[in-house]
Amino acid sequence: MFLGIFTSTLLGAVLAGGACGLIGAFVVRMNLSSMGFTMSHAAFAGAALGLLLGWNPLLLAILFSVVVAAALGPAAEKAKLEANVLIGITFPLTMALGLIFLKFSPGTAMSSTALSLLWGSILGVTQAELLQLAGLAAALMVLIGLFFKEFLAILLDLKLARESGLNPRPFFYLVLFLTGVTVSLSLKLIGGLLVFALMINPASTAYQFFYDMKKIILFAPLIGAGSAVLGLMVSFMIDLPVGSAIALVSTLGFAGAVAISPKRRRGRARIKESAPTSG
Amino acid sequence: MGTPDADAAAVIELRGVATVYEGEQLPAIRDIDLEIRKGELVALIGPNGVGKTTLLETTCGLLEPTSGEVRVFGLDIRKHGHRIRQRIGYIPQEIAFDELTPFSVRDVVLMGRFGRIGLLRRPGPADRRAVERALELVGIEDLARRPIGKLSGGQQQKAMLARALAKEPELLLLDEPFANLDFVAREEISSVIAHLHEELELTTLIVLHDLDSLPSSCQRVVLMRDGRIFRDGPPEEVLDPVTLAAAYHQLADGCRGRLGGLSG
Repeated sequence: MFLGIFTSTLLGAVLAGGACGLIGAFVVRMNLSSMGFTMSHAAFAGAALGLLLGWNPLLLAILFSVVVAAALGPAAEKAKLEANVLIGITFPLTMALGLIFLKFSPGTAMSSTALSLLWGSILGVTQAELLQLAGLAAALMVLIGLFFKEFLAILLDLKLARESGLNPRPFFYLVLFLTGVTVSLSLKLIGGLLVFALMINPASTAYQFFYDMKKIILFAPLIGAGSAVLGLMVSFMIDLPVGSAIALVSTLGFAGAVAISPKRRRGRARIKESAPTSG
Repeated sequence: MGTPDADAAAVIELRGVATVYEGEQLPAIRDIDLEIRKGELVALIGPNGVGKTTLLETTCGLLEPTSGEVRVFGLDIRKHGHRIRQRIGYIPQEIAFDELTPFSVRDVVLMGRFGRIGLLRRPGPADRRAVERALELVGIEDLARRPIGKLSGGQQQKAMLARALAKEPELLLLDEPFANLDFVAREEISSVIAHLHEELELTTLIVLHDLDSLPSSCQRVVLMRDGRIFRDGPPEEVLDPVTLAAAYHQLADGCRGRLGGLSG
């Protein structure tokens, strides 16, 4: 099936934005933001190594992010992960590795393929990549649908999930694995430096409006897809790099959500109602 | 109220149990031998940090025992932890949901039943009826739709009790269920626990800090000291000022005054 460049680009934005937003709802609620950040940059380093070795960058991106999940998952599961320490150590490490691999890649470090790993290249999305993203989106929806109550239980609290008689550990690591795959598949479209923003910002935006996890899971991917499409349009209109435009749009969306969030407005209304009146 | 049948099956059996927390050298509990039979209501008391919560969490498998044997419903907790916990109603100590927790009270109570519903299955009408019964029993049906994080500490405690009861458990493990409750709520919850024990013969192990909260139908008190079981027997024997003084490292006169009408 042949799709025009514009349609392919738009579809890629919708699928990547939706998938990142959906898994982002889990990452934010489970306090895995530092893990997600680390995994996205590990994926970048893995993809860069793939370029260097002439191997499939996607497979190495997934491998690197999964290795990070396996290494740090146990500490994260027990909430013993110092986020600042983690980011402080792993971010420079994965960025350094990624840039080193790019430097020694065939061609030049500034080749378009190498740059697309950093900043994204949604305009160059191929049919195969679209199919992979579509498969990812479908897999996410199927898995979440099949094990919805198990995922809800770990989203509430891991200890309470165990207390109820569930075995939360496989689902916890499934979330980590799906995060790694989502980040890796979105890498080329959004870029390793910014894919994290598309994962966290839409979900954080949804959290500003709902006290119902089911609604957050529904709206986060819609906001993610919307941010990606809007960012794409902004990049076309004012000639910005696509990944940067998407990150900016999603961040502005989050800022706007905080400003108008009913969770904050209700508090201010309560203070107004209880303030003494004169006369 | 009758006493449990001496021939009643043991619901909880701990033999030579010790538990060491990760990163620690000394065991939090040690040499624990404890048997609780079906239908018993047992209070677990002791000074702060003596291992009451550790014992409770080891019993239900949330903490893995370092040594010894833990059997619940005749099953080894190490091998059948998930199956066992599906049949236990547990209220953890100091559970607190922050204000932004995106779940309603009804959601949280229903999730207590997820383990027994089974993989790939969805909650059905029977599960929802159990939830509504539990909410009514605890008296928080009006709060069902509210976000759990918006409730006061005492209301959250009641929601956790409703969650434990919604599981239709065969064993209740309650870690300071009266914490954060005003005296009215304390009376309500105490009467619920007494009703469950007396009418349904629900086996209950309850950790208490405040001896004033001791349920009237409590037949047995286990007193801990320094991570071990110090005394185990009827309230009138264990709640003796001299015994308590030894466990709490206090003077007997001080304990006598605090106990008031509790001891025999």
